[in-house]
Amino acid sequence: MNNIDKKINQLKKESRMGVMTHVVVGYPSLKETSQLVLLMSKCGVDFIELQIPFSDPLADGPTIMKACEKSLHNGTKIKDAMRIAKDISSKINNPLIFMAYFNNIFKYGVKKFCQDAKSAGISGLIVPDIPPEEEECECLRHFAKKMGLYFIPVLSPVSTIKRIKKNLKKGEGFVYCTAKQGTTGVSQTLNLESLQYLKKVKKISKVPIALGFGISSRKHLQQIKGNADIAVIGSFLINLIENSENNYQKKIATFLNSLQE
Amino acid sequence: MRKIGHFGKFGGRYVPEMLMPALEELESTYESAKKDKDFQKEFKELLRNFSGRPTPLTYAANLTEKLGGAKIYLKNEGLNITGAHKITHCIGQAMLAKKMGKKRLIAETGAGQHGLATATVAAKFGFECSVYMGEEDIKRQRPNVFLMERLGAKVIPVSFGSKTLKDAVNAALKDYIENVKTSHYLLGSVVGPHPYPTMTRDFQSIVGKETKKQIKKLEGKYPDVIIACVGGGSNAMGIFYDFIKEKEVNLIGVEAGGVGDKIGEHSARFKGGSIGVVEGFKSYFLQDKDGQLQKTHSISAGLDYAGVGPELAYLQETKRVQFQSITDQEALNAFDLLARVEGIIPALESAHALAFAIKIAPRLEKQKIIVVNLSGRGDKDLFIVAKAFKDKTFKEFLLDYTKFYEQY
Repeated sequence: MNNIDKKINQLKKESRMGVMTHVVVGYPSLKETSQLVLLMSKCGVDFIELQIPFSDPLADGPTIMKACEKSLHNGTKIKDAMRIAKDISSKINNPLIFMAYFNNIFKYGVKKFCQDAKSAGISGLIVPDIPPEEEECECLRHFAKKMGLYFIPVLSPVSTIKRIKKNLKKGEGFVYCTAKQGTTGVSQTLNLESLQYLKKVKKISKVPIALGFGISSRKHLQQIKGNADIAVIGSFLINLIENSENNYQKKIATFLNSLQE
Repeated sequence: MRKIGHFGKFGGRYVPEMLMPALEELESTYESAKKDKDFQKEFKELLRNFSGRPTPLTYAANLTEKLGGAKIYLKNEGLNITGAHKITHCIGQAMLAKKMGKKRLIAETGAGQHGLATATVAAKFGFECSVYMGEEDIKRQRPNVFLMERLGAKVIPVSFGSKTLKDAVNAALKDYIENVKTSHYLLGSVVGPHPYPTMTRDFQSIVGKETKKQIKKLEGKYPDVIIACVGGGSNAMGIFYDFIKEKEVNLIGVEAGGVGDKIGEHSARFKGGSIGVVEGFKSYFLQDKDGQLQKTHSISAGLDYAGVGPELAYLQETKRVQFQSITDQEALNAFDLLARVEGIIPALESAHALAFAIKIAPRLEKQKIIVVNLSGRGDKDLFIVAKAFKDKTFKEFLLDYTKFYEQY
């Protein structure tokens, strides 16, 4: 059984919303990425997204762009991401998901990427810049499936019924829905109107819904309850790191613990 | 399974799901406009009465004589209203944006030529306009920033990445994603996700159509060689497209050789790059083994780009278009020579195409014909060229002018 399904079953049993956090591999450093993920796991996070840094991250706002830039400046390579994923997965049971732009996967080799990700203990892939039409030609889902990795579809508030159906046709694990039309980044308030589309998704989807983009507080989590099964927190945590001179671990722990209260 | 929007294995639409509805809308609007006689008529009228088409095909008699080989003709796109071919697809896309009921145009710009053309059509058609431009490019091209602002556009500096064209494209795409309901992204070349490469090529194909008629009238036959510079590739696809089926016509694309072969010294994607998927399309990119884009360089900002249009990648693969590169210095020499012997000051981008013609013309027989697409005029390069030629009096002028500026 895929680790993602195990986790989802556990969430159902405990009848609670799951939390997925996001790190950029190599930010602030490779060593700290590993420590951060272990800390997140300890603080009760359910899923962890490891983003492979890319030079031109189309779906990301300023916070994650800067983190990618710094990580690449540090010299982070795809094989480093494989290496630390392997190390992390040997220490914790949380499902780990690679978030990667397609060019990184393409250049590494789609088949090899899926093989290496699997042997590094990765459970799923989120690729934000490949719609189903192109994915088919690139055989990305094909190789992911062969290796037992889930290929997680991404939807947004402007997704039409037709496109929701197209993306969910072979949906596995969960579906990643964005809470806003735009790039990743912290928002003060959630635009609840833009969440209306989740009802459409819920009707069509056979898998749980993860909601990300702009989610950054316990209040937000309460607001999305009933609409989403998993809350994704990304840029907010990276901002915590970026804006702390030291001891960001403590701040992150305090924040993550506050979500559980 | 291959679908529309692909050129062999190149092209496609590799974008976040968020952009798919907008690109589908743009595609269907364009498809219906293509068949709409009124749309085509209005487009042609604007090209004639606003932009100044057709542009002349000028026989470069003095240059030809000096080189002593093939006859050289210049398709002078620099005579378009904003000084380059870019205005043509801007008019076309602005008309589509109007049809879709959009209120605002977004554009990226490197040298500022596409930004200027977008700001121009925004003023004419009554759109709001935001132009993204890398901080490095703003430093190099302040006069164009000034002009865009006078035309009513907002120029937004991009401080990410290499702070040049590719980062401006990224920033513009993000704005588009966020404001897709009210805004049209007026992408400035034959790059990006489908339908941009096809649509921009179709609008630009007027260049090749005119050239065909003009050369037939002047020489009674098609040229032996057509040469165009290639950044993204809009001017090249424009002049090449109608000649692709004329197998006897050799098509040559010229990339920026910059100052050397090392990473960050040039923008020669076919020589130094590999196949990748960036900014929504599959093509050749200057990138490392992991797929991270590399730094590029060219004296001409319009050629200083890590990617190349997907259809050109296909034409290279099928050997229909041959690619060459020209260095900064060779381009400057060509710029200088054309100004002196023909009275035409070319854009530095176009000077790359010209430089290659200068290289091969002496080796070709006198009855052979070369057409060079002179995609733009060189006024915009005043500051860069003055610096490159180490013009002392121009430097003194700049220093004095600052004082003068403060006094009054």
